[in-house]
Amino acid sequence: MNPPDTTSTAGQPASAEAVFRVRNLGKVYGSGHAAVRALAGVDLDFCAGELVVLLGASGSGKSTLLNLLGGLDSPTEGDLHYRGWNLGHADESSLTRYRRDAVGFVFQFYNLIPSLTARENVALITEIARNPMPPEEALAMVGLTPRADHFPAQLSGGEQQRVAIARAIAKRPEVLLCDEPTGALDVHTGITVLEAIQRINRELGTLTVVITHNAVIAEMADRVFTLSDGRIQKSGTNTRRRSVSELTW
Amino acid sequence: MSLLDLKLLRDLRALKSQALAVALVMACGLAMMIMTRSLILSLDTARTGYYERHRFAEVFSSLKRAPKSVVAQIAAIPGVAAVEASVAMQVTLDIPGMVEPATGLINTLPERRAPVLNRPYLRTGRLLGSGGRNEALVSEVFSDAHKLRPGDSVSAILNGRKTELRIVGIVLSPQFVFEAAPGAALPDNRSFGFFWMREEELAEAFSLEGAFNTVALILAPGASERGVIAAVDRVLEPYGGLGAHGRKDHPSDVRVTDEIRVLRGLSFGFPLVFLSVAAFMTNAVMSRQIALQREQIAILKAFGFTNRQIGAHFVKFALVIVAVGTVTGVIGGALLGNKLVEMYHIFFRFPALDFKLATGALLAAVLASSAAALVGVIGAVRRVAALSPAEAMRPEPPASFRPAFFERIGIARWFGVSFRMSLRNIERKPVHAVLTCAALALATGILVIPNSFRDGINHILNFQWDVSQRQTVTLSLVEPGPLRALADFRALPGVVHAEPFRSVPVELRAGNRTRRLGVSGIPSGSHLARVIDANDRRILLPPHGVVLSKALGDNLELKPGDTVILRVLEGKRPERSVPVAALAEDFAGIAAYMDMEALNRLLGEGDRINGARMTVAGGSWNEFLAAVKNTPQSAGVVIKEAVRASFRRTTAESIGLIQMIYLTFATAVAFGIVYNSARISLSERARELATLRVLGFTRGEVGSVLVGELVILTIIALPAGLVLGSFMAKAILVSVNTETVRLPLILTPANYAFAVLVVAVATALSAALACRKLNQLDLVGALKAVD
Repeated sequence: MNPPDTTSTAGQPASAEAVFRVRNLGKVYGSGHAAVRALAGVDLDFCAGELVVLLGASGSGKSTLLNLLGGLDSPTEGDLHYRGWNLGHADESSLTRYRRDAVGFVFQFYNLIPSLTARENVALITEIARNPMPPEEALAMVGLTPRADHFPAQLSGGEQQRVAIARAIAKRPEVLLCDEPTGALDVHTGITVLEAIQRINRELGTLTVVITHNAVIAEMADRVFTLSDGRIQKSGTNTRRRSVSELTW
Repeated sequence: MSLLDLKLLRDLRALKSQALAVALVMACGLAMMIMTRSLILSLDTARTGYYERHRFAEVFSSLKRAPKSVVAQIAAIPGVAAVEASVAMQVTLDIPGMVEPATGLINTLPERRAPVLNRPYLRTGRLLGSGGRNEALVSEVFSDAHKLRPGDSVSAILNGRKTELRIVGIVLSPQFVFEAAPGAALPDNRSFGFFWMREEELAEAFSLEGAFNTVALILAPGASERGVIAAVDRVLEPYGGLGAHGRKDHPSDVRVTDEIRVLRGLSFGFPLVFLSVAAFMTNAVMSRQIALQREQIAILKAFGFTNRQIGAHFVKFALVIVAVGTVTGVIGGALLGNKLVEMYHIFFRFPALDFKLATGALLAAVLASSAAALVGVIGAVRRVAALSPAEAMRPEPPASFRPAFFERIGIARWFGVSFRMSLRNIERKPVHAVLTCAALALATGILVIPNSFRDGINHILNFQWDVSQRQTVTLSLVEPGPLRALADFRALPGVVHAEPFRSVPVELRAGNRTRRLGVSGIPSGSHLARVIDANDRRILLPPHGVVLSKALGDNLELKPGDTVILRVLEGKRPERSVPVAALAEDFAGIAAYMDMEALNRLLGEGDRINGARMTVAGGSWNEFLAAVKNTPQSAGVVIKEAVRASFRRTTAESIGLIQMIYLTFATAVAFGIVYNSARISLSERARELATLRVLGFTRGEVGSVLVGELVILTIIALPAGLVLGSFMAKAILVSVNTETVRLPLILTPANYAFAVLVVAVATALSAALACRKLNQLDLVGALKAVD
């Protein structure tokens, strides 16, 4: 089965219906004595336009959850639906289609292609996306227009991460998944990156899931989930989303 | 086993396919080296032993006829150790089961004693009995071609009398290791064979009792060959001596020597190139291995392992590859050598030609491949030594790129993103790109060689028999006869057209250079025998002067307009100064042509002919052949198609085998280099490729990014390879070409297309194999790793 066509349009926030519906989700790596339970009994719904932060220590299962949401891995138990489509039982080529059309990824180590300039790294995605924005527009949204023709080795860490964000959002994804986006950055640079993420979330209405072990970052979210030992330990809603510029750590 | 060695074994297991690819290319180089050196050893040993045991003569001469008493004069020449005089006559044969007549050269063996020189080797049956009538021995090649066995009979026309020869034995002779009709460049073992009869019997049939027409001798140790040859010529001149020559001009021995010379050339150049490619591949694999193990090396160093220990660890890695390559190469070389020895049996007949493994070459091969691997690994090991542990534990800085040359000159807009990535990768590692390209070009080039030989041979066949010699059949007379004999030839059934020819042994002299050969007299305006120049234009033979083949012109340093002294070696032996009218193009031996009337004028013996070229109507072919078999004055029949077919049969087989060997080697190189490059690229770019997969690129799209670089390099390498192959083919032809056979360099689109196709397919398959590894890419893991 193919993923549903859900490409959103810039400036039009998607409705507040559930984008992801997760029930009793679990993931076990290995089998027998070597089996390791990374995730167990997770129930949650993520809605369009939300900014969600997943908190947790190393090994808490937050990256496993993000990988399952991003179609990088498949669950071993439970249900995982994306807009009514059973993401948990999708085959390899459907998952590729899903990642291509619906998901934008931002990683801790940027993962830019070193042989491509900032603009080309973004263009790489716009070439294969169905309804992309021009690479220049994506770079402008993260404030990198003047650095568009630089190669990754010529950019600072924060700039590289912002290129990665531009690359992730240029396809106008339904979902933006960020795995420790500030993990390799200093505070100041981290703030500029989070500002870019917040701006995307607000302006494009993209469901944004950020995983971090930095509790301060949770204050910019609509909702916060804390994971421990593969389970959701705590969940909460921020009555007021704080602006990134107010954050410090 | 030390723990480092245990690590080595496990690392090797992880890298087995790449290590095997390197070992395979190395094995090709070594196989070629072992094969050729072993063949040289096998041929050389077989030849030396055979010549010694069967007393192969060192100086040879033919003559018209001389009384036996002259033998004593020759034996008395200082420096002559032993002499054997005999009779040799060419006759027409009627072989059971063969429609067309064949030609035999009957040699004689002395009565009541074993021959002193050129002793035949009895393969089956028995030697000639004293007093047995019409007994004959036949050469193995000819008997094989006609499945003749002792007890079978063949008819021969001995001086006009049809005689049944009873075969009593199948023999070999050191004189005919390579069997071809005298003067023929190409063997035709169906139409031509050697026979032996009792001397008295053959002499009697040709009225040569108490006389001989061929002589062979062995020199005393330290004797001067040139001096003896000159003395023999002086003794034999009054008896129609045609000029003595040493072994180096002996038609059979020349072929064996030529073959050994070719093998010598191949035993050096090719292995060198293959081992260089292997060294490059070793370097690429080891460099990547060391980059991947940067942190491990740092930890080992931090724990106190010395540079020497760690360096030795990686050298051992390379030596394991050498060991696998050497064992495979030696086995491959020995197998191929064995196969080629079998093939040599088609061309060269020795009592035993056994494959002998050249152990010296084996040692050299091990040393050469170890050296190649060490050259490959040394740079990488040096980098290990230079790493400080603290620095090595930090990740390598990101690779820096810049726009490729094509982008800087402003044509980037025509290229897609992944194409640009490939270009930039190529430009970032130019040495790697050049060497990969060179190896692929080599793979393409070596495929051009065997096909260019095949096409060259086809060209010769077409030239020789469709352009130059257009007769169906050539009949020669036992003795030169009057021109009216042509009428008898014309009267044979089915003859459409007949033209006479004259052939006279001469010595050509220019300054202090001399050559002996037969000059061909061709009637003016001949339709059947045409002399062609280098531009494929027909040369009209002038009423005065001689046309020389280019090889002869070069040899005598003569060009059109020069004069040459022509001394006839038979009859009245006139000597004239003759102008060189033109140089003709041909591909075998040396030749001189004159207008037949001009030649007969020069000889002063009236209008005489040696035979005729004829075209025969297809419908009357069998009647014609039957008539020829019974023509008493005919000494030899050459049927064009029979020679052509026989030649095709034997060369097709040998070219096919050589082509298979080269095809294997080319595929191995193309596969090895592409597979290894793709695997290294995959390892270096795993993170990048995993990122692309995560971002939604399909496996196919990521695969094209992975092999894009290789595709570009292959596209560059293919035309370069065709050029390289053309030069290699030319270089090999130059080293192979002798006066006996000169292969022209013929390069056809089909040849090029074949080479391109094989390399393209090998490249595609090995790239596909490497791309399968993309499925095993750990998407999440690659994203976490910093590299």
